[in-house]
Amino acid sequence: MADFDVIVVGSGMSGGWVAKEMCEQGFKVAVIERGRKVTVEKDYTDFIDPWDTEHLNRKTDKHREEYPIQSNVYAFQSFTKQFWVKDNDHPYETADDTSFIWYRGYHEGGRSIMWGRQSYRMSEIDFEANARDGHGVDWPVRYDDIKPWYDYVERFAGISGSTEGLDILPDGVFQPPHDLTCAELDFKSAVEGNFPGRRVIPGRVANLTEPTQEQMELGRGRCQARNHCFQGCSFGAYFSSNSATLPAARRTENMTLISDTAVHKVIVDEETGRATGVETVDIASGERKVITARVVFLNAGTIPTTMILLNSANGDAPNGLANSSGMLGKNMMDHHSGARGTAILPGNLDRHTFGRRPNGFYIPRFRNHTEEAEGFVRGFGYQGGATRERWWTSMGKEGVGADFKAAGRTPGPWRIGMVAFGEVLPNEQNHVRMHPTKTDQWGFPVPVLDVRWGDNERNMVRQAIRDTRAMLEAAGGTNIETDDPETAEPAPPGIGIHEMGTARMGRDPSTSVLNSWNQSWDIPNLFVTDGSFMTSGGCQNPSLSYMAFSARAANHAAELMKEGAL
Amino acid sequence: MQDFMLQRRQVFQGLIALSAVGGLSACGGAEAPVSGQVSGSAAPGYFNAQEMALIAAVAQTIIPQTETAGAVQAGVPKTLQDLATDWGNGEFQQYWRDGLVALGTALINEDGMTFVSMSPSEREMALSTYDSGVFAGTIPDGFYRDFKATVVQAYYMSEAGATEELAYEPVPGEWIGCVPLSEFPKTWAT
Repeated sequence: MADFDVIVVGSGMSGGWVAKEMCEQGFKVAVIERGRKVTVEKDYTDFIDPWDTEHLNRKTDKHREEYPIQSNVYAFQSFTKQFWVKDNDHPYETADDTSFIWYRGYHEGGRSIMWGRQSYRMSEIDFEANARDGHGVDWPVRYDDIKPWYDYVERFAGISGSTEGLDILPDGVFQPPHDLTCAELDFKSAVEGNFPGRRVIPGRVANLTEPTQEQMELGRGRCQARNHCFQGCSFGAYFSSNSATLPAARRTENMTLISDTAVHKVIVDEETGRATGVETVDIASGERKVITARVVFLNAGTIPTTMILLNSANGDAPNGLANSSGMLGKNMMDHHSGARGTAILPGNLDRHTFGRRPNGFYIPRFRNHTEEAEGFVRGFGYQGGATRERWWTSMGKEGVGADFKAAGRTPGPWRIGMVAFGEVLPNEQNHVRMHPTKTDQWGFPVPVLDVRWGDNERNMVRQAIRDTRAMLEAAGGTNIETDDPETAEPAPPGIGIHEMGTARMGRDPSTSVLNSWNQSWDIPNLFVTDGSFMTSGGCQNPSLSYMAFSARAANHAAELMKEGAL
Repeated sequence: MQDFMLQRRQVFQGLIALSAVGGLSACGGAEAPVSGQVSGSAAPGYFNAQEMALIAAVAQTIIPQTETAGAVQAGVPKTLQDLATDWGNGEFQQYWRDGLVALGTALINEDGMTFVSMSPSEREMALSTYDSGVFAGTIPDGFYRDFKATVVQAYYMSEAGATEELAYEPVPGEWIGCVPLSEFPKTWAT
């Protein structure tokens, strides 16, 4: 008799969903989390006022020493470092002449606490992309397979957005959208008037603008327009595992959350070919244990999940568990950024904003869709915003005395900023592997990341910059700043914080790790529903897709368990 | 990263953009370690009394008291003292000490009067001339730019600066994308 019905490795964005679904189906679930438990009282810092921050909120030498990588992410602040790993404790390496910026937090809820909350569906165009242009392998599903699950997770999570009727970015189950600002409305008119086929719409974001009864019953409330979500939200107003899925799982009394415990390996019975459980390491004591279950879900995050499987190699699977295809660890993707632009927009000097929107505008992909492109396949979308400049511009301005002070009190012109996120092609060369000798303090092999962007990504970034300039010019922007479109390079891999693809789904067990249900081809009671399943990446922020595929896979596994097949 | 836009999402986030801009002032300066002597200091801290007096005088001239607090009333000198004492490393401290010495010297007027001993209107005239020279590029003083940026940041992040001089809503409750400026005429503090 196994200890649990289901083991879920990781309590973040996708693991929380598996836990919720399985618990609600009546199964006993162990959620194994390598980090600590998180509480609103101890961990959230969302009521800090500017004058409460130490030393003007500047990072200290100690921050940079202990968090040399993490301290560079926008959401790392003196009062949010509890949500980011100490890099020195969690080493990784990159192959020669490559770089990979790996931003992460190990704690209950994982990056669902610090995520950007932008929530977009992938479309039929995305699910068909690999089959059409031959990069990667074909997705084993199409939009219609996933649509009901997008509906399902959006209804529970709460996504604010506008209905637009776009095939490239399907509408969903939305709570009311965040208004565009006056300057953004003018920008929208200019872009849509000058470039038919381009649209400027409110961002779609996992913040409650009109909470449902179900959400309120979980203790969640309306977004208070503070826009510092990455500090945690005492109102539970944005979706996180901590605010939504884990409380839903917990109230069934079927969930056991085992914190401070890392999974080292998946254990397989070589006779039956099935997973029997996992080997764990107590982070504090180093003690090793085995926890057993009928079904194992890996939701540790793309790189850790891949490392667990590689590290679970056995006699029958010498190159890693669930890796008969040889694809495990390969096809690492992210979203490349690097096409950034800013300008001053004219007019609207008698207008202002109220509140702080945890969101901005979005421009759905138009290249290789409503407009052609040269030198690359796939495309990119933009996120941006335009608000009035505030006092920090005074930091670099001439003047002293009462006039200088008065100028700081008056809102400045409307400043627009935007950045493109572009699709990265699946490419077997881009991979993560185990270091042959080095391990961390818990005996885990150190990951080695070997990821390079190619011509497709480079050409796309350069086009995105040209398109940025054209749109800013069309809107009458001045002081336009972008990188040089002739020489710009994509930002390094990892910076998008959307690493994915290393255990891809597919139609053929010889070229993919997972089948159409996120189920291992090799080990039928092993499922993977974090970002590693992604067969292609689209250019949309991927978390909503992780949620939908997780809920779908969990319900499928539950059916198989009830039928006795698992 | 480009200084005009540090990273994604940061576009929207004032306070956060700030910390990165402010971080620039930690650059540069001499490399010699610090002696640490604080002779004549009224309050414990890295800056001595003379340095604190100059900091207060220059900061208050940049942001004077009007119907709202000036830099001194808002606690800016203490913030700078704490920054140098508890946050800054030896390089930062020395950069500030050297910078203040040079600034104090540069602001001595033709009659040999120090900045601290001038009247408020004399200070404003002297600093205004100096400030114009720095921003016009005729006076090469990177330290003054860093000093001014830090004073401005410390002021607007102070309680008085954020809540009295500017408008601060810790919990706005809702977002409205387009409102008349006449109803909300002040810069938002965050």
